[in-house]
Amino acid sequence: MQPIQLFDMAGRQAEWLSVRQEVVAGNIANANTPKYKSKDVTPFDAVLDQTYVPMARTHPAHFAANDISDEVEVKESELNDEIGVQESGNTVSLSEELTKTGEIRRQYELSTGLVKSFHSMMLMIVKR
Amino acid sequence: MDPLSASLKIAGSGMEAQATRLRIVSENIANARSTGDTPGADPYRRKTITFGAELDKASGVDVVEVKKLGVDHSKFIEEYDPDHPAADEKGMVKVPNVNMLIEMADMREANRSYDANIQTIKQTRELISATIDLLKAGQ
Repeated sequence: MQPIQLFDMAGRQAEWLSVRQEVVAGNIANANTPKYKSKDVTPFDAVLDQTYVPMARTHPAHFAANDISDEVEVKESELNDEIGVQESGNTVSLSEELTKTGEIRRQYELSTGLVKSFHSMMLMIVKR
Repeated sequence: MDPLSASLKIAGSGMEAQATRLRIVSENIANARSTGDTPGADPYRRKTITFGAELDKASGVDVVEVKKLGVDHSKFIEEYDPDHPAADEKGMVKVPNVNMLIEMADMREANRSYDANIQTIKQTRELISATIDLLKAGQ
């Protein structure tokens, strides 16, 4: 029997989404900061494609490099056509960031919903 | 620090920065007519505020902070009012360099940014409660 990978996938997506939420929150908070460049994370499929080989921690003082937040790269996002670079050197478009948060919420609800229904399916098997 | 708590912290810092900005705007508006009281004295000088992204060392999160509170060095407006206590020998009174239109626009922008930060907080709370709701799935 194949191992059930859905929980792992959903967990990684939730983690990726929360990293993205952090980046978007940073953009919104810095919407009026001079010279601040809008940021975004690498898309989820690119993160999934990376071969996932965590480093072994053989000593408690080693860094844990197994976090998805270390795999997700945060880089400057492309220039927004409407806003471009503002006079202050800032490139954050509030409407675009708010659209992104809506996207994040939808995806997060989808993945938690999937986990929920999968979980209840498993319980159905175990209970009766 | 996990990313969701970090978003809450970042949005909170953004709200604090915008609130300080609103305070500066209200100081400017309230003092829009604050002249001096001796002949030729300088009136109230308009205040300005700048933000900067800073790394919060305790949590390793990039937050916004008020970088600098400065003053606007543009020239004062002069009005002819010989009976005013601050009038010089030509009868001119210096009035603060506050432009109401600019202050109003600044206030609107601060308001909008504050709202955007509130949206982030609401949204992050929804993500957290969606995660917590997973525990209820077994019922």
